Amino acid sequence: MSSIEFRKDLFADERDDTLKEIGKPTIRQDILGHVTGRSPYFDDHLFEGLLHMRCVRSPHHHARIRSIDTSAADRMPGVRRVIRPEDVPNNLNTLLALINFGKDDEALLQGKKVAYVGEPIVAIIAETERQARDAAAVVRVDYEVLPHVLDVEEALEPNAPVVSETYPNNTFDYHELYDHQKLRFGDVEKGFAEADHIVEGRYQMSPIEQAPTETCGAIAAPETNDRFVCYTSTQALFFSLGTTAKLLDMPSSQLHFIGGTVGGGFGGKVDSLHEPLAVLGSKLTGAPVKYIFDRAEEMQVGAPRGAERWYIKDGVMNDGRIVARQFTGFFDCGAYTRLSSYAIIKGTGHLPGPYSIPNVASNVYCVYTNRTPATAMRGFGITGVDFSIECHMDKVAEAVGMNPIELRILNAYRDGDMKAHRRLAKNTALIECCQVAASKADWAISAQAAAQTSLQGGGGERAAIPETVTDQAGKIGERRRNKIPTAPGEGASAKGRVAAGTSVAPIIAVPPQRDDMIIDPARTGHRKSAAEQSPAVPSVHSAPIAPPRYTPPTPPTQAPMAPPPAAPVAQPQQQAAAVQPAAAEPYKPTEPFQKGIKRPGVSRFISGTRRR
Amino acid sequence: MLTVETFDTLAQAAGAMTPESRFLGGGTLIMRGVNYGDQSFQRIVRVRDRSLREIRSESGRIVIGAGATMADVMAASETSFLADVARQVGGPAVRNMATIGGNLFAPHPYGDFTTALLALDASVRLSDGSEQPIENFLSARSSMRGLVASVSVSRPMGDEFRFRKVSRVKPKGVSVMSIAVWLPRQGGRISQARIAFGAMGPTPLRAKAAEQALEGVNLDAQGIEQALSVATAGLSPMDDSLASAWYRNEVAPVHLRRVLLGEGNR
Repeated sequence: MSSIEFRKDLFADERDDTLKEIGKPTIRQDILGHVTGRSPYFDDHLFEGLLHMRCVRSPHHHARIRSIDTSAADRMPGVRRVIRPEDVPNNLNTLLALINFGKDDEALLQGKKVAYVGEPIVAIIAETERQARDAAAVVRVDYEVLPHVLDVEEALEPNAPVVSETYPNNTFDYHELYDHQKLRFGDVEKGFAEADHIVEGRYQMSPIEQAPTETCGAIAAPETNDRFVCYTSTQALFFSLGTTAKLLDMPSSQLHFIGGTVGGGFGGKVDSLHEPLAVLGSKLTGAPVKYIFDRAEEMQVGAPRGAERWYIKDGVMNDGRIVARQFTGFFDCGAYTRLSSYAIIKGTGHLPGPYSIPNVASNVYCVYTNRTPATAMRGFGITGVDFSIECHMDKVAEAVGMNPIELRILNAYRDGDMKAHRRLAKNTALIECCQVAASKADWAISAQAAAQTSLQGGGGERAAIPETVTDQAGKIGERRRNKIPTAPGEGASAKGRVAAGTSVAPIIAVPPQRDDMIIDPARTGHRKSAAEQSPAVPSVHSAPIAPPRYTPPTPPTQAPMAPPPAAPVAQPQQQAAAVQPAAAEPYKPTEPFQKGIKRPGVSRFISGTRRR
Repeated sequence: MLTVETFDTLAQAAGAMTPESRFLGGGTLIMRGVNYGDQSFQRIVRVRDRSLREIRSESGRIVIGAGATMADVMAASETSFLADVARQVGGPAVRNMATIGGNLFAPHPYGDFTTALLALDASVRLSDGSEQPIENFLSARSSMRGLVASVSVSRPMGDEFRFRKVSRVKPKGVSVMSIAVWLPRQGGRISQARIAFGAMGPTPLRAKAAEQALEGVNLDAQGIEQALSVATAGLSPMDDSLASAWYRNEVAPVHLRRVLLGEGNR
């Protein structure tokens, strides 16, 4: 604790120093159990007659499955059950279906086409782990190997192999409109024209494995009253529970999930791959079943932080002011969406980094490749682009011959500045951080830079939303037909302008009185009677579901993170007509965002666009 | 189903070995295989003969029992010249378990201790009493039947023997390569040098071209120049997660120079 230095001299008047916990060192609530070796992990729960599960996994990056022959495995000693893809009740899911974002694209066990090395095809349950391994080794899968793509930009070529049939363009569909997430603020072309220097850079990071000490796993066992208990290492207990209920098409009230000790997560234990298979195995065998990754699986199959590639182009004045910044970003989400689609929204909201730049444009792509699906890891969506931005700041400093810390202080955002995603910046402490870091590192900065503060100099003109150039390049599917540039605005036939100050009003649906009163009937697992599903009830569905704070970035809503350019939001179908100056009234949706209404004969688990 | 069989003598154990058996030394490799689902063996064979751990002098040579651990080698006065090599194998927990016999069979990139034994021209004694030079043993180890009882080496003089392990993580990292050299000198000039590289091929290998190039030269920058230029001749490094074969080939002469000239010692 002694290594922490609290700089209470900074922002003293903004802080209440009488608080008992905040701003004070504290002891982790679980540390005593950890250091004394008494914390029980999921694998510490012993069951009489515990069975072990192993998966048969794809050895190919991309292959169609012609047939699966499990007859030899059935006859192997100790084998109690072989689970085939058709044994999974509802064998298609996407993680963010639980918040209605994206289409179901991933099977729990893949029976049609594998899209990455290690994708599970068949699960074997046997009395010992070795028996399960030996049985998995004799399962015969007949593959038709397909061409694969492992590079994000190659995956965007018109003739690239299609990784996921759910997303035939190899990109996640944003707002049912574009194959990428747009961000437009001001006019970068004008900024580049004014600039004294143009500084360009390409940055890339590889996938990073979270490498937990305890590999991902779960033990499920039958309980009384048709319930199943599941001890799991998940980071997201109720997320895993909801996912299990959906994949197994069973009410969540039959699932008793126990977590708490994660054994090292760092984002790698949210994917809920183990709980559904363990519960299904327990259901099919009537016995306790353990399913856990071994270390090789954790490294190969466990989802990492995805690879990212960023192109940054800055327009810089001789004095170091950055007047325009343009991003083209590619997230390698691997073969299935998992959480990458959300990481892009989050990353776009962060652009152009903690700096006030009057003209910003960005296109960020969530690209499917035949690599291990990517997922969460500590600040995912931000880390990669922040690495790129800060590398690029140093490159800019070099280009204009400036002290890199002074360059950051000069361009840093200040309280009251308008961020590119049209939120006012507050509590911006970058200037103070730079000053403290410089002094700690004995890095000389000018007296002028040392005198700056984030509390002053912001707001005013810097709080204004500039006139913004928009374009409609990169509609869903367009890239599949022709090769078109990936950078913002390039190759766009239709451009529009949105007048300065245009902002979209947020939607506020009738809020529940308390957050914990939000109930989504579709998630509780209780089937509703026909009477309850009568049209009189929809308000029950719609009102509580519109989240008051986090809004999934569905087009009719005002996403707090990064709205697409205002024009396409307001008039998605208008092409050149969007050139007209601002409408008299800011855009306001006619009705609040609502989740799809249940229709007879339609799975209550279909998510996203297909729901409506 | 995995079974474990324990025997009183090495000879009995040797008789019980089949292609699906593994002999348990310290278990630092075998038990990892068990834990991580190695399906290549069904039986584990072990002996309870404590004499396998002995380290003793015998007619001018040091005999190290196959069951001696790295920690035993570090502790024994007879093997003080190998203590530094043993200390660079794994961490304390591994050194307390890992045996000299096991190290002889450790696959790439392990086998640092064996690299030292190769440079010292050790002799390997098998359970049937036969003995063979370590170089012959290593070239045939993948198809070997029988068990190792002990290895013997002669004690090198002064600073004739040198060893260096190159790893990215210190102190417990796995070898990018290890280098062991034995440099007998006559009248200040090198004679009959032996150079062994670990993690530069499927087994520890000798750099024979470099050995020949050192014959009769002085141990200085000029004298070793020719040896460095042929340092990697006859080696066949592999790509792995620690380093590419290309990288290993590029840096091998650099590290060999440091070993020969005693540069960069810490």
